[in-house]
Amino acid sequence: MDKFSLFVPNFLPFKEYFVPEKNIACSGCGLALAIRQTYKALEAVIEKAEWVKAGDGKLFAKLFDKSPMGNSEPSLLRIKKPGGELIICFDNEAGGSLEEAVKKAMPAIAVAEGFRYVATACPSYPFDLYEKVKKGLEAEGKAYIHILCPCPVAWQFDPELTVKIGRWAVESRTFPLYEVGSASAYHLTGTTAKPRPLADYLKPQYRFAEISEQQIADLTTTVESDYKKLTDKIQPE
Amino acid sequence: MESTAKFTKSMVECSLLDKELGRPFKPGARREATPEWDKDKCVRCGLCYVYCPDGAIYRAEDGFFEADTDKCKGCGICHRECWFGVISMVKED
Ligand code: SF4
Ligand code: SF4
Repeated sequence: MDKFSLFVPNFLPFKEYFVPEKNIACSGCGLALAIRQTYKALEAVIEKAEWVKAGDGKLFAKLFDKSPMGNSEPSLLRIKKPGGELIICFDNEAGGSLEEAVKKAMPAIAVAEGFRYVATACPSYPFDLYEKVKKGLEAEGKAYIHILCPCPVAWQFDPELTVKIGRWAVESRTFPLYEVGSASAYHLTGTTAKPRPLADYLKPQYRFAEISEQQIADLTTTVESDYKKLTDKIQPE
Repeated sequence: MESTAKFTKSMVECSLLDKELGRPFKPGARREATPEWDKDKCVRCGLCYVYCPDGAIYRAEDGFFEADTDKCKGCGICHRECWFGVISMVKED
């Protein structure tokens, strides 16, 4: 008999869509984990999903030119649906800059561009991610989902920490999870009463080995003010 | 084990897939340590299964979870994420 009645995989389809023979992902790849979870949510429309480059066509130029991600080429998955499309950005911060690590302008740009559903997600929160992809598919018109995918190689951390790092990004408010539905209503999906110190998120990443206490303090201020701007957009219920 | 979907043409464009079909790649070949389950402690919640990036973990007939050693890359995420410390990473010689 089970000690607990909670059976976690019940919340997700058991069928695997991303367990290829020739998966060249590194050990502990956050991108592979995010794709595996996303494909489960795309189940019914998976045939319509296509991989595109951020640089391809004018459609994305608008989204990516204005953001600090301009230099890196995130993988984008595009799913055409009646009356619009769903664009999912798998962001593994390939550009590697500190600015890129703390500033995520794309979701806000997508809102300004009139996307009807915009959300941030992270594979450390698989059920949240799954729900958001589903919502993005159901939303009328264009939808955009920005997924933070920790990369053990580029960020230089121990691959067993991939899921933890993603969680620390969210808990430190560096990458808050939220969604923006119709009428641009912001909604936080998961809140932390007391944020985790930013150092917890940055220090295990050796790409930031040289970072000073002062820089961390300055970044904390940036993160907090961005978070405040975000929460200010939320209408009281 | 649960079936894996057939790969469609568009899915193959994913940057994580090896497009040079002539180069065989076996994920298991890169493994440095293998996860091992202590069944006495396991509550069979399935969290380890959810977090494996390579979908290497499957539910065996007895309801416990195991890793397919052909797919596991030995990252240790399952070991870190299990709530009850069931999984230990065992180094291979
Ligand atoms: S996460 Fe831990 S307790 Fe849950 S099924 Fe896996 S090994 Fe067992
Ligand atoms: S060590 Fe990594 S690849 Fe292997 S079963 Fe655990 S989570 Fe999956």
